[in-house]
Amino acid sequence: MGELEYILLFGLFHSVTYLVFSLGFSLVFGVARLPNLAYGSLYVLSSYLAHALSSYAGLEMYWAVPTAVLLAGAVSLVVGELVVKPALKMPVSVFITTMAVAYIVEEVLNMLMGLRPVVLSLYPGTSSILGIAVSNHWLLVVGVCILMVISLTIFLLRTSTGRAIRAVAESWEESMRLGIDPLRVLRVTFLVTGIYAGVTGVLLAPLKAMTPSAGWSPLFAAFAIVVLGGVGNLIGTVVASVIYGLLEQAVVYFLGGGIARVVPLLIVVLTLVVRPQGLLGRGE
Amino acid sequence: MSSLLVCEGVTKRFGGLVALNNVSIEVGKGEILGIIGPNGSGKTTLINVISGVLLPDDGRVIFDGKDVSKLKPHVRVSLGISRTFQGSRVYPYLPVYYNVALSARSVYRDPEIARAKTNWALTVTKLIAEAVELPINLTPFKLRMVEIARAIVTNPKLVLLDEPFAGLSAEEVEEVIKIINKLNNLGVTFIIVEHKLRYLMKLAERVVVLNNGIKIFEGPPSEAIKDREVIQVYLGGGVS
Amino acid sequence: MAFAKPSIKRRLVRYVPSITIMVAYSCIPLLGIRGFWLDVLTRANIFALLTLSLDLYSGTTFYLNLGISFIAGSSAYVVALLYRYLGMVPEYSIIPAIAVAIALSTVIFLPSIRVRGVYFSVLSLLLPLIMVSLITSQPLSLYLGGEGGIPLPSLFSSYARMLPPRERIPFLQLTWFYLTTALTIVAAVLSYKLAYSNFGFMLRAIGQDEELAEASGIDTTRVKLLGFLVSSTLAATAGALYAAIRPPVTVDVLIPANTLVPPLTAVILGGMGTIIGPLATNYITIVAYELLWDAIGRWRTIAYMLLLIVLVILKPQGVVFHIYLKLRKAIATKLSSVTWR
Ligand SMILES: Nc1ncnc2c1ncn2[C@@H]1O[C@H](COP(=O)(O)OP(=O)(O)O)[C@@H](O)[C@H]1O
Ligand SMILES: [Mg+2]
Repeated sequence: MGELEYILLFGLFHSVTYLVFSLGFSLVFGVARLPNLAYGSLYVLSSYLAHALSSYAGLEMYWAVPTAVLLAGAVSLVVGELVVKPALKMPVSVFITTMAVAYIVEEVLNMLMGLRPVVLSLYPGTSSILGIAVSNHWLLVVGVCILMVISLTIFLLRTSTGRAIRAVAESWEESMRLGIDPLRVLRVTFLVTGIYAGVTGVLLAPLKAMTPSAGWSPLFAAFAIVVLGGVGNLIGTVVASVIYGLLEQAVVYFLGGGIARVVPLLIVVLTLVVRPQGLLGRGE
Repeated sequence: MSSLLVCEGVTKRFGGLVALNNVSIEVGKGEILGIIGPNGSGKTTLINVISGVLLPDDGRVIFDGKDVSKLKPHVRVSLGISRTFQGSRVYPYLPVYYNVALSARSVYRDPEIARAKTNWALTVTKLIAEAVELPINLTPFKLRMVEIARAIVTNPKLVLLDEPFAGLSAEEVEEVIKIINKLNNLGVTFIIVEHKLRYLMKLAERVVVLNNGIKIFEGPPSEAIKDREVIQVYLGGGVS
Repeated sequence: MAFAKPSIKRRLVRYVPSITIMVAYSCIPLLGIRGFWLDVLTRANIFALLTLSLDLYSGTTFYLNLGISFIAGSSAYVVALLYRYLGMVPEYSIIPAIAVAIALSTVIFLPSIRVRGVYFSVLSLLLPLIMVSLITSQPLSLYLGGEGGIPLPSLFSSYARMLPPRERIPFLQLTWFYLTTALTIVAAVLSYKLAYSNFGFMLRAIGQDEELAEASGIDTTRVKLLGFLVSSTLAATAGALYAAIRPPVTVDVLIPANTLVPPLTAVILGGMGTIIGPLATNYITIVAYELLWDAIGRWRTIAYMLLLIVLVILKPQGVVFHIYLKLRKAIATKLSSVTWR
C-alpha cells in the first residue's frame, strides 16, 4: 500500500513542522492570554530576510538563515514591546494591533518584492524511506524540528526562565505573588516564539512557495491545533499536531490541496461544538 | 413553615479541591438564613451553585418545589432567585439607572412596569440622586446599594447576599440591615453570607456554619457562638 | 417632580440636526458632483453599512466580529453564483443572497459566539482568508471563478440599456448613489435606535461583565445571538450591494485588509458603540483615503494600519463618557415620568 505509507510519512513530516510552529503560538497565547496575529508574518518575514541576505547581501546560506531567524526573533520582541504590551489592558486592542502589524509586513513585502513567490535553495540529495523517495531537505527539516521541540521542552521544564513562563501562563496574579515579573516573561516569550516561527519559515521556504500572504494559512493551522490541544498544553499540542498533519495530508491526497484548507475550519468548529475547552484541554 | 429552597447533598469540586462536600440546607419561606465560615470555606461557592453561576458536581437544588439544578442563571432570576456578588460587581461604564433597569427589563415584558419597578428599587436603596452617575464615581457603600437595588428589582422570592456588610461603617451596615428587614417584612427570603457572625446575630434566626466545604453547624446564632467546633474553627479569627 | 414627556415640537427640534445632515447629503449630486466622486460616496455608503454592522455588535460587546469580511464576501459570492448558475440578475438575487449569508455565518459562528470571545474573534478573522485560498485553488476555482472573479451584469443595467449610450453610466451612478444613500439612512436610524435601546444596553452590559449580566437576569446567549444577527444582516447587505454595483465579484471582498480594516478604523477612531462617531469617521476616512492616493500612493494602506495601532494604544476607552453624557437627560426623564406605589 504505497499511498498509505506516503500519507503517513508526509503527514508526520508536516506534523512536526506544525508542532514547532504551533508550540510558539500556544506559548504566546498562554502567556499573553491572547493570540498574536502577527505570528504568521514572522514565518514569512524570516524566509524573505534569508532570501534577501543571501541574494542581495551576498551572504552564504548557512550565515543568512540563522541571521534571518534571529532577526525574526528581534522583530517579534519589538512587536511584543511596542504593540502588545501597551494594548494588554483591553483584549480587543491586541487583536487589532497584531493584525495591523501582520498587514504592514504583508504590504511592505508586496511593495518591495512583489507577489512572485520567494524560493530558498533546497538541501541537496534524496534518500529512500519505506521505499518512498524523500528529499534530504525534509530530513533536515524533521531533524531540526525535533531538536527545537526537545530544547523547548527542556527550557520550559528545567530552567528558571522556563518555569517563570509556565507560572505566568498559569496565572498572572499568582506569578506576581511569587516575585515573577510577567512583563519580563512576556518579553522572553516573544523573543523565543519569534525564533520558532522564523525557523519554521526558513525550513519550509524551499518546499513551499513563500508569498507575502503565506503566513495566514499556518496561523490558522496553529489556531486549530491550539483549540484542539488546549492552550498551553504541551502534550495536547503534540497530539493535535499529529492529528492535524495526518488529516491534512490525507485530504490533500484524496481530495486535493484546495479542499485541504477547510480542515482547520472543520476542526475548530467541531471542537468548539463538542468541547469548548479544547478536545484535549483541561476542564474549566 | 414550607421550605422555599432545598439543597440536597450539594458537592462542588475544583480539580482536587472539594469546595462543597455533600452540603444540605433548607430555607423556609420568609426566613433569613445566615451562612458563616472562615475564608475559603465554600460560602461563595454555595451562592454560586444556588444562583446557577456554577453547576454542582453532585446533588440537587430545589427552589419552590422545582428542581433548578440545571437551569441557567438568568432563568433562575426569572423564577425568583437574585444575588449580589462579594465585593460588589456592577457594569462600570453604565449609569446606575441602567445597572438596575436592565435586570428589570429582562424580567418584566412591559416596559412601563419595568420602569416603575426600577424607580421603586432605586427609591428603596436611596439611589435616586445617583441614578445618572457612573458606578466608577460612587463610594463602596453606594456601590453595595446599586447591587442590592439590582437584586431586588426583579421581584425575587429569594435574595442571596454575599458579604453585604464587608468594608462598610457601622452606620452604613445599619442602613443595609434596614433594607433587608423592610423587604423581609414584605415576604422576601434572604440567605446572607458573612465572614463575621456579629452582624447576623440581629438578623438571622438560624445560621449554617461551613468549614472546608463541610456543614459543621446549623442552628440559632446564639447557640453557634457556644458550639465548640465553631469556636475552634474561628480560633484566632474571633467569632464576634 | 411632575415632568411630562417632551412635547412633540421639542422632540422634532431634537431631530433637526440629523435630518439636515441627511437631506444635505442626499443633495450632493445636485451640486454637480458626478463621476468619480459620486462613485466614492456610493462606496462610502456601502462601507457605512459595514461600519454600522461592526459598531452595533463589536462596539457594544467588545467581542470583535472580524468576520464581517466573511459575511459580506459570502453574500457577494451568492449574488454572483446565482447569476452564473441560475441566470438571476442582482435585482432579484440580492435578498436571497443576504438570507444565505446570514444563515451560513450563523451556522459557522454560533458555536464560538456561545463560547468565548477570543476564539470567536480569531475564527472570524481567519475564516475569510481560508475562503480566499479555497476560491483561488483547484478544483473549486473552476466553479467559483478563481482569481479573475465572476462577472455579472450590474444592478439596474437592464434599465440603463434603454437609454442612449452616453446617459447610461451617469444614470447608473446616480441611481446607485440614491439607493445606497437611502439604505444607509434607514440602517443608520435603526442602528442608532437599537444601540441606545434596552437591547443595546444589554449588549453593552455583556461587554462589561458577561457573568454579571447572566446572573442578574439577562439571557446573554439570546441577546448576543440577536445582536449578531442584526450585525450580520447589515454586513450581508453591504456585500450583496457591493457585488451588484461593482462587478465582477472577486476575492477582494473577502480580504480583511479591504473590507474589515476601513470599518474597524472608523469604529475605533469614531468611538466604539456610539454609532454616530463611527458613521461620520467612515465618510471622512474614505474621502481622505482617496485624496491621499495622489500624495502617498500605495503607502496609504500602511499609513492606515499605523494610524490604527497608534489610536488603539493611545485612546482605549475615552468614548464611553460620550455615551454617558448623552444619557443624563434621558434618565432624568425616565425617572420622573412614572409614579410608583
Ligand atoms: N472558580 C474557582 N476555581 C477554582 N477554585 C475555586 C473557584 N472558586 C472557589 N474556589 C476555591 O474553593 C474554595 C472555596 O471558595 P469560596 O467559596 O470562595 O470561599 P468563601 O466564599 O467561603 O471564602 C477556596 O479554596 C477557593 O480557592
Ligand atoms: Mg466568599
